[in-house]
Amino acid sequence: MAILIDESTVVVMQGITGKEGQRAVPLMKGYGVRIAAGVTPGKGGQDVDGIPVYDTVKEAMQHHPEINTSSIYVPPFAAKDAVMEAVANGIKLIHCLTEGITVHETAKMVRYAQLHGVRLIGPSSIGVISPGKSRLGVLGGFNEAIEKIYQAGSIGIISKSGGMTNETAWIVRQAGLGQSTVVGIGGDRIIGSTFTDLLELFEKDSQTKGMVLFGELGGTYEDQVADMVKEGRFTKPIAAFIAGRFAEQMPQGIQFGHAGALIEGTRGLPSHKIQILKKAGVLVAERHDQLGELIKGAL
Amino acid sequence: MRLYEFEGMELLRKYNIPTPASFLITDIPSTFQLPSSWNGAVVKAQLLSGKRGKAGAIKLCETGEDVCQAARLLLHTRVNHEEVKSVLAAEKIDLNQQYYVSFTFDTATRSPVLAISAQGGIAIEDDVLSGTGALVRIPLIPIDPLLGLQEWNIREAAAVLHLSKEQAAKIVPILFSLYHCFEKEDAVQVEINPLVENKAGDFIALDAKIELCDDGGYNHKDRAYTPRVAGFARPPTEREQLVKEVNAKDYRGTVKYVELDGDIGFLAAGGGGSITCMDALMNCGGRPSNYTDFSGSPPTEKVYHLTKALLSKPGLRGLWIVGVIASFTRVDETLQGVAQALEEVRPAYPIVVRRSGPNEEEGLQILRRSAAKCGLDLVAYGAEMPMTKTAKILMDKVNLFRAPITEDHMDHINEQEQRSVC
Repeated sequence: MAILIDESTVVVMQGITGKEGQRAVPLMKGYGVRIAAGVTPGKGGQDVDGIPVYDTVKEAMQHHPEINTSSIYVPPFAAKDAVMEAVANGIKLIHCLTEGITVHETAKMVRYAQLHGVRLIGPSSIGVISPGKSRLGVLGGFNEAIEKIYQAGSIGIISKSGGMTNETAWIVRQAGLGQSTVVGIGGDRIIGSTFTDLLELFEKDSQTKGMVLFGELGGTYEDQVADMVKEGRFTKPIAAFIAGRFAEQMPQGIQFGHAGALIEGTRGLPSHKIQILKKAGVLVAERHDQLGELIKGAL
Repeated sequence: MRLYEFEGMELLRKYNIPTPASFLITDIPSTFQLPSSWNGAVVKAQLLSGKRGKAGAIKLCETGEDVCQAARLLLHTRVNHEEVKSVLAAEKIDLNQQYYVSFTFDTATRSPVLAISAQGGIAIEDDVLSGTGALVRIPLIPIDPLLGLQEWNIREAAAVLHLSKEQAAKIVPILFSLYHCFEKEDAVQVEINPLVENKAGDFIALDAKIELCDDGGYNHKDRAYTPRVAGFARPPTEREQLVKEVNAKDYRGTVKYVELDGDIGFLAAGGGGSITCMDALMNCGGRPSNYTDFSGSPPTEKVYHLTKALLSKPGLRGLWIVGVIASFTRVDETLQGVAQALEEVRPAYPIVVRRSGPNEEEGLQILRRSAAKCGLDLVAYGAEMPMTKTAKILMDKVNLFRAPITEDHMDHINEQEQRSVC
């Protein structure tokens, strides 16, 4: 099974002619992903590595109605528009790699996707991999190296940090396990898919027997996991690492603004997240490298 | 980016929110003439950190001479580790009631939220910071980001505050203006505490705490605020400034450097990886000398300058060069820059390396060769060694390096010396 993407995934790449887009094309193609079309306004009629480029998502959909997924690489100033364009054209899964979008624009595109029942991964999502089936974005890097870290298996991974996704998947591999689907959800304040949004899908996925989560300081997305587990809405074992405890010990500290503290009280602090996750029955690793053995022991 | 009060006040005025008349003072004045319409002044240190009232950095003044005296007392002192570079002398306002109002983003609803309370002022600051005060129970009013602030949002807020019709009529335009400021300026947070009702029944913002979205640059190309370190309420140090300049000179890759109090040099790749490693280091008793991360394939030159800056901090007792399994960043290219800096500085303290990714083995060999050439105490690992395990490997070495010479050790040395004399 796996979640989000598999052999049936057919992709339109928005921003295919840019630097990030061009980097992702060979990675995805080399993994056997079908990229039906690219979109870059003003570059319609060109092609990238044999993939036809259109000016609009609408044209791409007219020529390739089998497209069911968009992967977005446009610069930050154009990202909100690109996401909304994909939503308006009926694409139900959107991955947005673009980082550095303002939080106001992100909140708007996330809400627009929600209203239309569209699943948005990101922004600032390094990508998604269902090992052996499909991949979006640049998660995992070159195909020669990817086989070492990503092998089909029983562990779902969700990570706020793009960079730590490889490391986390590798720790799982070192414990002798493989992955069902690995998702970089991005570390922005507002994101399209949270831990709990995706845990709903992993709960129903028969391939997934356990979860590994990489969380960070700030926000409440990890807190929602604790609630979900406590309420019995997620029943498979979870091992988590929450990064950023150092920030609580620093004299200058990373400071929370008043309004932030107002909303969250002590929430947003890693120590608080760790405490409530543990209380809910989630296995929390003291060090990141313990994640693999922790989840292995719980299967 | 957090704004100083005077910068925040300027933004509020841009959106027609009333603020008291004020003067920004950066040099200690010899005289100060209180405007005749003023009934006293408030002199406030301009700081990025909060709690300045408690720290005694707000002074009430009766006369112009008092203002000079207050400026003398505050300017160039340090409050909460931060130098006071300017003070704001503002008209004193006689008030009836203090309110708290803010717009920010809430991760629970993934939307902007309005928070408003009729108990504004310093007390609220304490309550909020402790995370246990009454304020936490203030209802947050979610705002649909696609619609923006709506009349019904404000009616809900007014109902919470029990405002009279007259009060509501005066506060509503301020809330709309503040939301516009929040949205148009790409702010993450706008907070007025207190928003006061003066004796004439008008509302005036007596403070402004505004944090701008660090990603807002493409919408605000004309912005020219003085540099400040993100997340840390202080201006950059010399080394931080140097690394910033190095970073700006070449668009390829990003290098970041933030100075801390410890003695373990920390050269890490990847944002989430850096945070994870900082935790691991502090977990086994290491005190980082700095926070750093570099990413996106920075050229050799850039990494060289970053490493040089990092190694130039006095008092280092160890160096940890660490990174996640990189997808694209070529390990040999970046480590070449590190090796070059190490060969020049030749630190005596232990160095532990864990890097992985494209051209991993070549990269590690570059460092091992430099170590052999210069007699460095360096050990280098690749992917097979989990990243966070190398924190303890380093700290075990650092603790030995630090260990004071014991009596046994001294006896041993004396013995050897005697033998060599014989």
